[in-house]
Amino acid sequence: MSGCSRPRCRAGCGSCEAGDTLEALTHALAAALSLDAIAATAAGTVIGLIFGSIPGLTFSMALALMLPFTFGMQVTPAIGLLLGVYVGGMTGGSVSSILLGIPGTPSAAATVFDGFPMAQQGDASVALGAAVIASTFGGLFSLVVMMLLLEQVAAVAIRFGPAEIFALVLFGLSTICGMAERSMLRGLVAGTLGLMLMIIGLDELDGVARLTFGTVQMQQGVNLLVAMIGLFAVPQIISTFLDHGRVAPFKMPTDVRARLPSMRQLKERLWLMVRCSGIGTVIGAIPGTGGPIAAFIAYDHARRFDRDPGKYGKGELSGVVAPESANNAVTGGTMIPLLSLGIPGDPATAVILGGLLVHGLFPGPMLFRTHLEVIYALYVSIVLAYVVILVVQLWGIRIFVRVLAVPPHVLAVCIIVLCGLGSYAIRNSIFDVYLMAVMGLFGYLLQRVRIPVAPVVLGLVLGETLEKQYRTALIMTEGDYAVFYTSGVALFFFVLTALTIGLQFRSSLRRQSTESGRPEADRAPR
Amino acid sequence: MRIDRWLGPCLLILAVVWLWLVYTQIPGARQPGEPGPRAFPALLGIVLTALGAFMTASAYLPRRNRLLDEIPRASLREVLIAAGTFGLLMLYAYLLEKVGFLLATPIVVVLAMAGILRLRNWLLIAALAGGLTATCWMFFVWLLKAPLPRGLWLM
Repeated sequence: MSGCSRPRCRAGCGSCEAGDTLEALTHALAAALSLDAIAATAAGTVIGLIFGSIPGLTFSMALALMLPFTFGMQVTPAIGLLLGVYVGGMTGGSVSSILLGIPGTPSAAATVFDGFPMAQQGDASVALGAAVIASTFGGLFSLVVMMLLLEQVAAVAIRFGPAEIFALVLFGLSTICGMAERSMLRGLVAGTLGLMLMIIGLDELDGVARLTFGTVQMQQGVNLLVAMIGLFAVPQIISTFLDHGRVAPFKMPTDVRARLPSMRQLKERLWLMVRCSGIGTVIGAIPGTGGPIAAFIAYDHARRFDRDPGKYGKGELSGVVAPESANNAVTGGTMIPLLSLGIPGDPATAVILGGLLVHGLFPGPMLFRTHLEVIYALYVSIVLAYVVILVVQLWGIRIFVRVLAVPPHVLAVCIIVLCGLGSYAIRNSIFDVYLMAVMGLFGYLLQRVRIPVAPVVLGLVLGETLEKQYRTALIMTEGDYAVFYTSGVALFFFVLTALTIGLQFRSSLRRQSTESGRPEADRAPR
Repeated sequence: MRIDRWLGPCLLILAVVWLWLVYTQIPGARQPGEPGPRAFPALLGIVLTALGAFMTASAYLPRRNRLLDEIPRASLREVLIAAGTFGLLMLYAYLLEKVGFLLATPIVVVLAMAGILRLRNWLLIAALAGGLTATCWMFFVWLLKAPLPRGLWLM
C-alpha cells in the first residue's frame, strides 16, 4: 500500500499538501491510480456485480460485509472498494433481469420488461451489451453532474450553524418515509428505533454513560458497522435458508456473450440515454427515492415519447437502455447530498457514509476544505469502477455467469462466516460478534412484522449528528428554542420535512386503501 | 394475522420501559434550561409512545383508512431456521473466543450445512469447510494482516 508521510493527506499519495485544486487533483490521481487502489476498486466492482446479479442478495449487504475489509486500507483504496461495490451492484442487476427475467436488484426490475423478451428472441448478447453501455453512460453522466454541483451545494451549506444542520439532518431523516416500503408509520418507528440504538453508550458532550447497564463493552455503544452487518446480512441468510429446497434454484445459462450494439443503434438512442441519465441523476439527488423509481420513470418516459410505444414489452432495445442509464445515474445523484450535506439518500449510501466516518472523513461542506483530494480520488474511483464493469461485462461475462451458478445457500453459509469475522475485525472484539447476531435477529424480527430495516440504519448513522446539533444549538442560546424558528434556512428545512412526511403519509394512506380494496389473494405477502 | 393490533401495544410498552430506563439511569442537565444527556433519549421515548399509540388506534379504524398489515403465521420450519441461524451465530462467537478461528469456522460450516440445510453431501461440506477456512485465513491474516481469534482454550 502507498504510504503517506504528511498528516493532512488522506488520499495516501505520499506528498500531498491539500488546498490547491490542481495539486489536490494530481495527488488524487496518484492515489486512485496506485496499484492497491485499482485492485480494491476492481475487486469491489466484481463483488458488487456478483451480489447485484444474484436475485435475493443485495449490494447493501455486500457493502456492509466489505466495510471491515477497508480498515487496514488507506482511504482511497477503501473508498474505491466501497464505490466499486455500489456501482457494480447497481449495474449487475441487469444480468439476471435479461437472462432469467428475475431482477437482481429492485433497480433492474424495469429492465426485465424488454431485456428478458430480447433474451427469449435470441438477442441476449445485444441486450447485455446495450445494458452495460447504457449503465456506463448513465453513471458517467451523473458523475459529471455531481462534479459540477457538489462544490456549489457545499459552498452554501458551509454557512450553516447547529440549528440549520439539525433541521437539515431532520430532513434527511424524513427520507425514512421514502424508505418505508408499505407504511410510513412503520418507517418512522424504524427510524426512531435506530435513533434509540444510537443513544446507548457514552454521551459525547457530557461523557455520561447512557443505558450501558454497567458493562464496559456497551460504553462504546452499538457499533454502526456491526449493526449494519447484522441488520442487512442476517435476515438475508435466514431468507435464503428458508428458500432452500422450497424455491427452485434459478439456472443461469452458461453459454452467454455480450455484444456491443451497432453504432446506428446507439446513435439513435443517444438522446434517450441523455434524458434518462438526467432523470436518474435528479431522482438520485432526492433522498429516499433511489434506483427503482428512477428506472420505472425512465422506462415510462421512453415508451411515452417513442413513435411506436406498442413495441415496448416485446424486446425493444430502448426498453433496456432507458432504465439502465437511469438507475446507474442514480449513483452520482445520491452522492450529491451525501458528500455535500452528509445526508445519505438510500441504504447503500448510508453504508458508504459509515465507511467514510470510520476513516475519519465527515461528509459535509467541510470535507471540501479539508479533504479535497479525497473527493477527487472518489471521482477517479467511480470512473475506474465503470472501466472494470465494461471489461467484466463485455469480455468476462462467460466467467462471470459461471460464478453466479454457485447455489445461494452455499453463499449464505459463506456469508455467515464473513459476518462473524467481519464483525470481529472491526475492533478485535468477540462482543461485537455477539452484538452482530443480536442485531441480525432484531433485523429479522423487524422484517417479519414489516418494519423496514433501512430507516433503522439511517437513524443510527444520522442520530449522533442530530442530537449533537440539537443540544449545541440550545447550549449556545442558553436553552432558547427560538433558535430553531428564527433562522430562515432551518425553517425552510422544517417545512420541507413536514411536507415530505405529509405527502408520504397521504400516499401511504392511499396505497393502503387501494390495497384493502383488492382481493385477499393479491395482497398475500411473498 | 393483523399485526398492528399487537405491534402498536408492544411499541407502547417498549416506549414506557425506555422512558423509565431513561429517567432512572441517565442524569439530567447540569445547567438548568439546557438540554442534558437525558433530553434527547426522553424525546425519542415520547415520539415512540406517540407512534405506538397511533398504530394501536389506527388498527381499529374503519377498513378503508386502517393502517393494518396482515402477515402470515410463522411456520415451525421458519421458527427453527431463524432460531437455528441465530443460535449458530452466537455459537460462532463463543467458539471463536474459546477454540479460535481455525476450529470454529469448519464446525460452524458443517453445522450450517448439515444441521440447518440438512445436506448430506459430505464431500461438498468438507470442501466448503476446509476451503472457506483457508480462504478467510489467507485473506484476513496474510493479505489484510488482521489478527483472527486464536482461542482461549488452546493458548
